[in-house]
Amino acid sequence: MVEAGAWWTLLAAPGLLVVLAALAVAGNAVLDARDAGRPVGVAGAVRPFLGVPRALVAQPRRLPAQDRLLWRTGVVTVPVAAVLSTLVVPFGGRVVADPSVGVVWFNAMEVLTWAGLWLAGWGPNAAFSLIGGYRFLAQGLAYELPLMFALISAATGAESLRVGDIAAAQDGLWYAVWMPVAFAAYLAGVLAFSFLGPFAYPAGRDLAGGVLGEVSGADRLLLQAGRWLWLASGAAMAVPLFLGGGAGPGLPSWAWSLVKTLLVLGLLVWVLRRLPVVRADRYVEFAWVVLIPLTIAQALVPALVNLGR
Amino acid sequence: MSGTTAALSLLAVALVAVGGVYGAAWAARIGSGAPDSAPFGSGLEPTEHAVSRFHVRWYTVTMLFLAFDMEMVFMYPWTRVISAMGPSAVIEMFVFLAVLVTGVVHAWREGALRWT
Amino acid sequence: MDLTGLILRVTAGRPHVLLATVPGGAAVRLAAERLLRARDWPQASTPAKADLLLVAGPDLPELRTALERLWRDMPAPRARVHARTPDEVEAALDSGRALLGSPAVQRESAAPPGEAVGHREGEHGAQERHEGDDQAPGHDGDGGGEGEAGRAGDAHGGPDGEHAPHDAGQDTEAEHGDGRQAPDGQVPDGQAPDGHGDHGDNGNHGDHGGHGGHGDHGGHGGHGGHGGGQTDMPGGLPMAEPGADRDGLTLDRLHLPLGPFLADWPAGLTVRLVLQGDVVQRVDVDEPARPSDDAAVEAFWVQPWLRAASGEPVTVGEAVRRRAAAHLDSLGRLLAVAGWPAEAVRAGRLRDDLLSGAPRAAVAPRLERLTRRVGRSRTLAWLTRGIGVVTAQKAREAGAGGPAARADGDVTARYRQWLADIRHDLPRLEDPAPLDVAVEDSPRGPWSAEAPPSAALIALLPPLLEGAELAAARLVVASLDPDPEELVSRGVVEVARG
Repeated sequence: MVEAGAWWTLLAAPGLLVVLAALAVAGNAVLDARDAGRPVGVAGAVRPFLGVPRALVAQPRRLPAQDRLLWRTGVVTVPVAAVLSTLVVPFGGRVVADPSVGVVWFNAMEVLTWAGLWLAGWGPNAAFSLIGGYRFLAQGLAYELPLMFALISAATGAESLRVGDIAAAQDGLWYAVWMPVAFAAYLAGVLAFSFLGPFAYPAGRDLAGGVLGEVSGADRLLLQAGRWLWLASGAAMAVPLFLGGGAGPGLPSWAWSLVKTLLVLGLLVWVLRRLPVVRADRYVEFAWVVLIPLTIAQALVPALVNLGR
Repeated sequence: MSGTTAALSLLAVALVAVGGVYGAAWAARIGSGAPDSAPFGSGLEPTEHAVSRFHVRWYTVTMLFLAFDMEMVFMYPWTRVISAMGPSAVIEMFVFLAVLVTGVVHAWREGALRWT
Repeated sequence: MDLTGLILRVTAGRPHVLLATVPGGAAVRLAAERLLRARDWPQASTPAKADLLLVAGPDLPELRTALERLWRDMPAPRARVHARTPDEVEAALDSGRALLGSPAVQRESAAPPGEAVGHREGEHGAQERHEGDDQAPGHDGDGGGEGEAGRAGDAHGGPDGEHAPHDAGQDTEAEHGDGRQAPDGQVPDGQAPDGHGDHGDNGNHGDHGGHGGHGDHGGHGGHGGHGGGQTDMPGGLPMAEPGADRDGLTLDRLHLPLGPFLADWPAGLTVRLVLQGDVVQRVDVDEPARPSDDAAVEAFWVQPWLRAASGEPVTVGEAVRRRAAAHLDSLGRLLAVAGWPAEAVRAGRLRDDLLSGAPRAAVAPRLERLTRRVGRSRTLAWLTRGIGVVTAQKAREAGAGGPAARADGDVTARYRQWLADIRHDLPRLEDPAPLDVAVEDSPRGPWSAEAPPSAALIALLPPLLEGAELAAARLVVASLDPDPEELVSRGVVEVARG
């Protein structure tokens, strides 16, 4: 079981999330440097963070008839929802809160990005951004249901929506091992709600950046940060859902959580460079015809196992 | 600390952080006036407002999605009562899903999942 | 402590560069891309996220307005440099960095528009004045990064140097606010939702002609006037107009130009799209912008063919090398459009190494790897399958030879054709035989100054793009990759004029 409710976790959870996201950015920068033939090293890894102070000094910018309220609401929603999702993500034996509907909470926060990104696309009153915002909705129609069935598979395995229970229920055998389809669908979902790599469709380079095309300054920083925060949050959540949480031999549970999270994060960063953008017009069909039936079949497995107990 | 308190506190932490970012940007910004810009049009001027009645050609998929999304509302609580309810719970849920999937297959054959 | 100044100095080390390539600037673009990659200066795709506007290529009067638009849309800190030849790129980048790192220049650049329209000459001032500037000797006269640096230096030391920047800042601070809090900032913002409301009320399509939010935007237009010098950007734009579409729905149509300055897009090509949702309904291709001075442009990718045609000795090896590099350039652009930046970077590196004379042994294994990763990628093939089918017959009818015709198929077939062609060319990289223009194809087809191959490729575009989704349309253009430079190149223009 995990221990919930210490006040300091309110600061530790977002802090840890930011650190993990920064590690993902740095790791991606190292791979960038390798691909571009630049020397691989710490100096190259931290260079992307020059973008943070750069964003802060930027002059504000105004577009004709922009809807700044909606625009900024959308931009802020993405990173804030990512931080809120960590409410239920245990790290070692600690968690901010362990409500009985933890899985649903995570799911709900992730769905907030639908609204956030669409608003971020609508707000600037710019064609490329608008199309980018709608692209995310189309992408959501494809990735969301497989992701939900993946979450439900894990919840069904433990017969609980409490994340701590799910982690504890994987005693000895990780769900990733006997629910590989759910695990894969979950990881694809993580990339999709981070709109990174193969799911960077709403921010595609063919749209001149899409939803990211008109944001500048602090707005840009927050929206970009939101992507990587979501990637980190998704990686951290994979650990209790599919990789047995903090359980493991030898090391303390927080160390196991950290190791597993970093491994998942590394895997995601590696994968997001290995694939071109999967456009929603192709992915929707694949998701509905292949992924949804597969993940439903996957959800049936733990249900039957439960009946057999 | 109850779950609700924790959630609200975390929201407050996140909002304070976001406010801090905006505050720092306000303090460090190089120019205060926001120049009037145009949305990016590859160097050309926009000819109309972009916000419009956007033709979402995947609207049939949204209908299918709604059906499944409502199903999820049942499925989340269902996960907790499988053992208590016994085989009937599993049978009912997966027969229901089978009906929905049949609908998906039909929609797919009708071409509802393709729009290009 | 001047924190902002410190930040400016530190972050100038990694500016985001908006690379605007004009026709005739391909060689400059290649030099710039190589340097940006080596320095880890990321490329931006829109002015909003760019710090440095790098104009690559000769001066084209037709495109000045568009460059000006990009420049005005960049929020400070920002700098603008121009490299006319590949040799100038490094100096231009360095001067851009110096400008970005200079708090004085940047404060000036960020000075809000207001009464001081003249003060902002060359930056935010009326366009005509800027163009006058451009032609004035002493600004651009000697060309290159230093010339540009001189001009950007004007921003604080130029004709309006006597204007005290601090006064300007304070004046307009009071009046202008930051657009979030100032009352005049709220006028357009507050009313935008009303505009939408009206817009939504127009459920019956017929009465949309009323332009729901038009009046509101008029208010914004007034505001623009207040800003000063922005008369070409009124907020009073019309709302999108409805129009019939293929699904029998009457929804709004958006007019969206692609090009002239778009990332991963043929330099100088302008395609005007009418979109409904993200489906292309109508396509108009503009005539490519022409240089005022014809002799200045020599199409980079067909240079060996142009030279051979004019009697200079050119070896087959040189031509083949150029052709392979051209295919890699096209491939890199396609990969970028397809959203695969990691492989696009690798294709770009291979291209640059080929152009700098790398021997076959150094190139072959990396090409193998690229062929394996990209050419045989099932994901990429699945994503590009069935898009933009050009049969060999259709291509021939349009007058296109080259890889587009030989591929005889969709986008997938075309990028695979490029890879196959490069592989086929590798053994001949050092071939010393003289180039026979009639035997060796130029990168985009058999070379002919009367009918450059890219003209046929551009002619193929409209029917392929109509009805395509925007993403597919971008893939189609990238997979045909016409080179507008060929159309305005030296030999071609002379032939056209007889």
